[in-house]
Amino acid sequence: MARVKSRQKTSLPIRLSLYFFIGLMSLFILGPLLWLAVHAFATNWTYPNLLPDSLTFHWWSKVFLDSALGTAIKNSLIISPIVVLLSMVICLPAAYAAGRLNYFGRKTFLIGMFAANSFPKIGLFAAIATLYYALNLMGTFVGVVIIQLLGTIIYMTWIPAAAFAAIPRNLEEAARDAGASKIRTFFTITLRLAMPGILVAIVMSFLASFDEAQGSYLVGAPSIYTMPTEMYSLVQNYPIQVAAVFSLLLAFPSVLLIGIARKHIIGGQLAEGFQIK
Amino acid sequence: MSLTSSKVESLEAKSAPRLSLLGFTMALPPVLLVVAFVGLPILIGFTFSLGFTSGPNRVVSLIGQQIHSKDHWWGTFAAYRDVIHDARFAGDLILTLVVTAISTSLVLAMSLGIGVYQRMVGGRIASIMSTLTLVPLFVPVVISSWAIHTFYSGDGFMRTVFHHFGINFPTLTSTTAAIVIGTIWTSLPFAILMVTSGFQSIPDALIETAQDAGAGFFRIVRTILIPLALTPIIIAATFTAIGILGSFTIPYFLGPNQPTMLGVEISNFFGSYNRPQQSIVMAFIVFMAASGIAVAYIWANVRSAKQSGRI
Repeated sequence: MARVKSRQKTSLPIRLSLYFFIGLMSLFILGPLLWLAVHAFATNWTYPNLLPDSLTFHWWSKVFLDSALGTAIKNSLIISPIVVLLSMVICLPAAYAAGRLNYFGRKTFLIGMFAANSFPKIGLFAAIATLYYALNLMGTFVGVVIIQLLGTIIYMTWIPAAAFAAIPRNLEEAARDAGASKIRTFFTITLRLAMPGILVAIVMSFLASFDEAQGSYLVGAPSIYTMPTEMYSLVQNYPIQVAAVFSLLLAFPSVLLIGIARKHIIGGQLAEGFQIK
Repeated sequence: MSLTSSKVESLEAKSAPRLSLLGFTMALPPVLLVVAFVGLPILIGFTFSLGFTSGPNRVVSLIGQQIHSKDHWWGTFAAYRDVIHDARFAGDLILTLVVTAISTSLVLAMSLGIGVYQRMVGGRIASIMSTLTLVPLFVPVVISSWAIHTFYSGDGFMRTVFHHFGINFPTLTSTTAAIVIGTIWTSLPFAILMVTSGFQSIPDALIETAQDAGAGFFRIVRTILIPLALTPIIIAATFTAIGILGSFTIPYFLGPNQPTMLGVEISNFFGSYNRPQQSIVMAFIVFMAASGIAVAYIWANVRSAKQSGRI
């Protein structure tokens, strides 16, 4: 183990250039986010000053008092939980089957899931929108829910499937030998051990739905706006500070949920599931 | 560890084909959803692009403008001709392909570099780097696009800071360069996650043996690391390329008005211009451009799922 990673000290110029590279990457990745975040509290920012003119909470009240923005926030908070629940109902049994059972057409089903994900998104959404006209789903609540549901399927089938498959059978057998019923074994052993995987799937599905913009915009606008699709018109019609406030609000669930599931995501549940995304 | 255990489990599952009807029924709902809302729309959309304007395409044909109906039994290429003769189309297509090629190569080069560094050197710097590059995964694309827009704009951070050093930093917002920056920003975490997890699964023993036999750093990378992690590398590259080909938000917020990427044009033609047939034609042109990539993507995914015993 120790030998692969060379123990000798890296020379100073190499270390310095590595730190320089990290600094550059931080600027590239974090810079835009921080720059936008500061705008949420700035009255005005005159180019080329390094600091904003002064600080204020004015833009926050503007967002909360604006009815269009409020509706978008409400829509997002209603649609995303519905999408996640539907996704769980539809996909978790399939995930269990894919992880634990053998059935006719299993291979075809699984390959079909990859194929569904290999179409460039916006083209697929345009095709779906065409069908929506025939089904009368254009600009409807149900239409937006279905579009967002499609983006969660991969997370909700593959990540839990890997979790179910990794549960040692002998634990369940031991529980059965000790007299537990099948149902009890399922809930106290199988489901409990698969829970971290299911949790990551729920978090990722919620974010996929909550953050989905392109499809929801194409089939939902102009009658249904969610928070991300509201951003499209927001940036054109409001000052940059309002967009900054709205961005912070939109990023809040991600930060919260990632905080909760961080251990499992970094710990490999996500990479496991992504393997076959 | 979990890889081997899941392999054993699935072997057991295969040797015991019980409950096969139950498994089939449980697996059916997501498959039906995909068939109904991915397979079917693509099939119907294709007939629409060829001028089949009745049946499921009747409503969209009534609403849309400049709809061509078929004049042969197999349809018509009139809508395809419209698109190809559109003055903007060639520029859009070239821009889309160039951006996809440049961004995918840069993303791949960066993830290979960081992945190799993490596998061969490791340590604190490597872990800072991987945490840092994971950040964009959790930022909604509308936020990141807009943040990058303000960062590189005329009164953005880059120009502000460089101004104080007396350097006139170019305004990148609304240029092709900004689209490349945006697509790299959003694609980086997934590619790095895939590539590093591929490198990490290579056993130390293999690398040590090569080191003992006198192989140098680059030889180990070339003959051991890359061949053994080829499947995740291909998944990372193809997924990135497909994602960029089908992107809308990034070029919409960051790119120039003309030429722009086809994703923006597809959305404009469908919505603003109300020319859905031409929009669908462009979608199929993007699908064609992606089909080679898609085959590689599915192949690599199937191979990886087989290796981990899931198929």
